[in-house]
Amino acid sequence: MSTIEVSHLSFGYPDGHHFAIGRKTETRVEVLRDLSFEVMPATFLVIAGPNGTGKTTLLNLLCRSLVPKSGSIRIDAAAIESYSTEALAAKVAVVRQEFVPIFGFSVIEMVLMARTPYYGQMGFESKADREIVNEALKATDTAQFASRTLASLSGGERQRVFIARALAQNTAILLLDEPTSFLDLKHQVGIYDLLKRMQLEKGKTIVAVTHDINLAAQYADVTLLLGADGSYQYGRAKDVFSQEQIERVFGVRTFSGKVGQQKFFIPLGKFAKDSRQINSNPDSRRQK
Amino acid sequence: MKELLTARKLGVRVTSALVVLAVVMFVCSLMGTESISLKAVLAQVGGQEAINPDYEIFVQVRLPRIILACIVGAALACSGVVFQALLRNPLADPYILGISSGAGLGTIIAVISGFSWTLWGRSPIAVFAFAGALGTVWLVWCIGRVTGKSHVTGLLLAGVVVNAFFSAVIMFLTSIAKSQQMQTTIFWLMGNMTEEDFLVLWLGAGCVAAGIFALFYISPQLNAISFGEDDARSMGVNTARTRTIAFAVAALITAVAVSLSGLVGFVGLVVPHAVRLVFGPDHRQLLPLSGIVGAIFLVAADTLARIVVAPAQLPVGVVTAIVGGPFFLVLLVKHTHKVGWLSK
Repeated sequence: MSTIEVSHLSFGYPDGHHFAIGRKTETRVEVLRDLSFEVMPATFLVIAGPNGTGKTTLLNLLCRSLVPKSGSIRIDAAAIESYSTEALAAKVAVVRQEFVPIFGFSVIEMVLMARTPYYGQMGFESKADREIVNEALKATDTAQFASRTLASLSGGERQRVFIARALAQNTAILLLDEPTSFLDLKHQVGIYDLLKRMQLEKGKTIVAVTHDINLAAQYADVTLLLGADGSYQYGRAKDVFSQEQIERVFGVRTFSGKVGQQKFFIPLGKFAKDSRQINSNPDSRRQK
Repeated sequence: MKELLTARKLGVRVTSALVVLAVVMFVCSLMGTESISLKAVLAQVGGQEAINPDYEIFVQVRLPRIILACIVGAALACSGVVFQALLRNPLADPYILGISSGAGLGTIIAVISGFSWTLWGRSPIAVFAFAGALGTVWLVWCIGRVTGKSHVTGLLLAGVVVNAFFSAVIMFLTSIAKSQQMQTTIFWLMGNMTEEDFLVLWLGAGCVAAGIFALFYISPQLNAISFGEDDARSMGVNTARTRTIAFAVAALITAVAVSLSGLVGFVGLVVPHAVRLVFGPDHRQLLPLSGIVGAIFLVAADTLARIVVAPAQLPVGVVTAIVGGPFFLVLLVKHTHKVGWLSK
């Protein structure tokens, strides 16, 4: 049984209101068109594609921050709209693109907030809640700055705190929106290692939106590649990430190389040094 | 690791704050133009002597005014906490969504019309101020709804526009009013504590206390909502319900406060920040402590207003701003490192 089942999903953002005589019509900018895919439990799914193809929109649909125009989303075989807010939060946790909150909550206070629906009558957490939170802090290696405020942390540390909060929700599904976008190389792999560990050890389903296809390809089991024309590819990471596919979808020339089983892609701009020396397709060069 | 807030710790802190409030109320009730002796007051409580001026002053003049300051201070501080959390804006105060201008407009209309009826012992000014305050918040809320689902920015803009528009109407009405009427209006706009009937006080106290309990009940959800509604919802918080309760209750207790005392400024902005700087941002603690500290602050400020230029009296709004401003700056400088939005 699949954990997430998306069928014939379409979504568009309102472009504005137009008033014809006597009636109000709304035009929509379509971002997702007739999208269908299924995610099995304990899978690492990466959603990639150019800007504006609806990656974040899809994530927002999967956690019901947005409502589809048509089509359906099922979480654990039940329609997503059949869940109460609380019940959905027990199934799906989200890590959005990072931000700094306005009040100076400490890290542990923030992670504890993930337990808000389970607070007792007096509005306080139980011992079990504390244990779950401590475990989340330990898993993300954030326990050492538990009493510091978020603003005093570096980007990588903050991202781990947001992941800790999502983990404290104890969900089977974890959605992440560009979890590594502001991080240096070491912290990028640090976050992906952490997510992979959660998948393997806890059996969580990870859904991550990213621009870094090379990093994603190393960790993903399945990939959803969204194209600007509304097309999409869904399948095993190594099948979806081919040079031809990447060049077509992103509209950029790439250099491709292989390390073991893993293919890597480096984008080549017109004015990049040596861009003319490197043939975009190593296979065709060999044939000459 | 930092000690987390527990129900027990919260209970101890709230109780100690209440004790401080009781002491402040007691001390302030003995201060004033007429010095009264506690012994004389207590003598009256026991036996049935003839007219006792000390007792009369204490019960008829001092006590009602101090209770009034408590109610207004607690209401404004708590509603400041709520608006700052809901609007995710440290600059928010109870008046930000048009309550002040709506109440002001109601007042000046009542003054100009020269009504002379009373409703449950309340003057037309108070009734109109109350209605104006609630009506305006409702209007702003509706405008905010039209602008979008997560309507924080829409609400703020609607509040600013409505405030500006009503202020203009107030100025227009003031300019055509007679000088006596103008004086009454301006006096009211500055915020004042006047002696009230006990019936009015108990009604107001009941409303405000019930409101603060309701807000305390949703305070864990307010913590989550201060991160944004999408975020709170994905953590399992019913944001629509929380937002509606918080808004309605905060607007109601502010309207009660405003109809009792006029526009006392500064309490609703500064007290929540001061408490947050010292005790941290957790709303489960911030809300009750702000209420009590707001009451202490306004009781003390009103006592100052009574005695500084005695036998004349200052509007309490003047005192809250003059005393509160520097006091807040000292806190700010001492505790900046604690707050995220400043040390960023």
